[in-house]
Amino acid sequence: MSVANTLIQKAPFFGRMFQMEESDLNPINSWPALMAMTSFVWLTIAAVLGLSMPAIQLFDLGSHWYYQNITLHGAAMAFPFAFQLMVAMSLHRAGACLGKRADGILVALTYILMNVGALLLTVAVLMGFHVTYTVMFPLPVVGVMTGQWSMSALVIGFTGIAFVLLSMILTYPIKILRMSFFEKKHDELQLAERSLKDPGMIGMIMGVLVLLITGLPLLATASPILLHLYGIIPAEWIAWAVKPVVFEFIFYIFAHNLMEAMAIMIVGAVYATLPLCTADGSRRLYSDKIANLALWILLVTSITSFFHHFFTMYPALPSTFAYHGNIMSFATAIGGALTIFTILATIWKHGLVATPAVFLILGGFVMYILDGVTAIVISNVAWNFKLHGTVWAGGHAMSVLIAISMIWMGMLYYHYPLMTNRTINDSTARKCIKYFFLSFIGLFYTFLVAGAAGMPRRNAAWEGDWLIYGAMLGVFGTILIYSFFLYFSSLRNSKALDF
Amino acid sequence: MTDFIYSSWGALVITLLMQIPFLIIFFSVVNKKAFVDNVAADTPAEKYTSTRYLWIAVVLISFFVINFASVKYMPTFVEANAELSNVKDVDISATSWKFDMSERSFKVGDTVRFLAKSEDTMHSFALYHPDGGLLFTMMLMPGLETASALVHTFDKPGVYMVRCLEYCGVNHHGMRSVITVAEK
Repeated sequence: MSVANTLIQKAPFFGRMFQMEESDLNPINSWPALMAMTSFVWLTIAAVLGLSMPAIQLFDLGSHWYYQNITLHGAAMAFPFAFQLMVAMSLHRAGACLGKRADGILVALTYILMNVGALLLTVAVLMGFHVTYTVMFPLPVVGVMTGQWSMSALVIGFTGIAFVLLSMILTYPIKILRMSFFEKKHDELQLAERSLKDPGMIGMIMGVLVLLITGLPLLATASPILLHLYGIIPAEWIAWAVKPVVFEFIFYIFAHNLMEAMAIMIVGAVYATLPLCTADGSRRLYSDKIANLALWILLVTSITSFFHHFFTMYPALPSTFAYHGNIMSFATAIGGALTIFTILATIWKHGLVATPAVFLILGGFVMYILDGVTAIVISNVAWNFKLHGTVWAGGHAMSVLIAISMIWMGMLYYHYPLMTNRTINDSTARKCIKYFFLSFIGLFYTFLVAGAAGMPRRNAAWEGDWLIYGAMLGVFGTILIYSFFLYFSSLRNSKALDF
Repeated sequence: MTDFIYSSWGALVITLLMQIPFLIIFFSVVNKKAFVDNVAADTPAEKYTSTRYLWIAVVLISFFVINFASVKYMPTFVEANAELSNVKDVDISATSWKFDMSERSFKVGDTVRFLAKSEDTMHSFALYHPDGGLLFTMMLMPGLETASALVHTFDKPGVYMVRCLEYCGVNHHGMRSVITVAEK
């Protein structure tokens, strides 16, 4: 039995979701299943921590707990949950569509670096390293200098972040690129042939290229800092890298495009899966050309739209860059508009088979578009000065992660029979989708209204009306956790396929 | 009218105006083609093409109008239109977790240019109206020679709260100050 299958077999509670027999398809099933299962462990942790934040505020339990939990919640949600789930599903899809093995050293390294890195970061946060998942450089260093946390916590935290970054920027993108262009094809693994011209495949390749290209400068900047922390290179060698303006710009070019890459990947995933759920069995999108055009617009416009993270530095950020970021951010929505048209035209033209998988995917797509509107609104320079730093921005980050994850969870429903020879519990899945959407809408609009009211994000002192918004976040967060529980139940209570 | 649209609540209204039609159309199409009439439609190809052009035109025009109308609320425009001879410069130095300001008391009608720098880590200088709404926020990145700058004219008396909106450590929430604006 493979290492991945053994780990799944031995995992309590979560292992039952992905129990699988040894089969010829293990090379495309085992590691993706292990990654998906592990991502759900992190989701459970992230969900509990997310719910703890309103509770900490309502019961006045102290800012220490708030900043600790917000750091852990954001980090767990974004990286070992959402990103790892994306890795799992994209590896499985690439394997089954291209007939390539989704295992080997790069896959194992991706898994180990992501999860060990996330664990190290967790240890550092528990030691007091409360920097939020955006790091806020130079706060990690200033925190040591001002006695907020220890040098040990900083070194462990940065090591964990480095591991996570290596998996996201190097091992995972290289594996997908190798599968797409180089590795040996195995006919017995190719279950649904797709060419690299297919919009579903192009979206995936664009996504990993964005990660690799925008991530390498960050690795080049962060590595010397880490080497200095280990005592390997002297301080004068890293003077350029620790300048806040250098680190922050390189960090946000990656961090912004990380989210964009994840978004391009899920648009590609929707393009790949929707045709398989059409009522007339045509297995076609309305137009591959328009779908591909949308992806190219999303790719080209999103890369330099990152300037919107810095509008409020005016005039240190020259107006030229601010207006460029403003225009490019709105231009991403042209790609979004073409995507909406393609999805609706496909459904209209070919009809839809109402399965839980397709509804979860389309539900996630609706969330993605709703969130996209809030993203472009805050990317207008005038509005940005009134919303940046409020929970409008925090809600946007949370919503896009939930939307992306919901689409991948829908993809998992679709792939599940292939992965495990079992079929999900249909009635529980349908119930899950209703609660999922209800809780999302509740959380999403609470964040927007609270943001418009000026409620600060990442702030441990909720006052006056902000406590009411916090209580609402707690209520809808509880419903969201219930929907996650239903999702897990729909997998745990799956039934063997009857051949 | 545009003053409201380019406020934070105006942002919410515009957001809803874009989201609600999308939700209605999306759910109508999905409901019809999944539950009511889930067979292939015989809609002519030209109909799809004309709908696509119409949809993209609506999106492009909306985006152009939204961004063009916002120009007068952008900081460069506000600064260019202020009577610079009457502008009071206020220097602000942000350090964990306090603001040092060269002046904190103003009168209604005063036009002030806030020039803010951070001395240690990322901070922001966010000014709240006495009614609780956020007037603006300025990101302060340490190590920059150029101060973040914004011009604002006070139109109401009261106590204006100043907060840091960029997470800056374990006492981030305690980084606040006040500005007092008296009747003219």
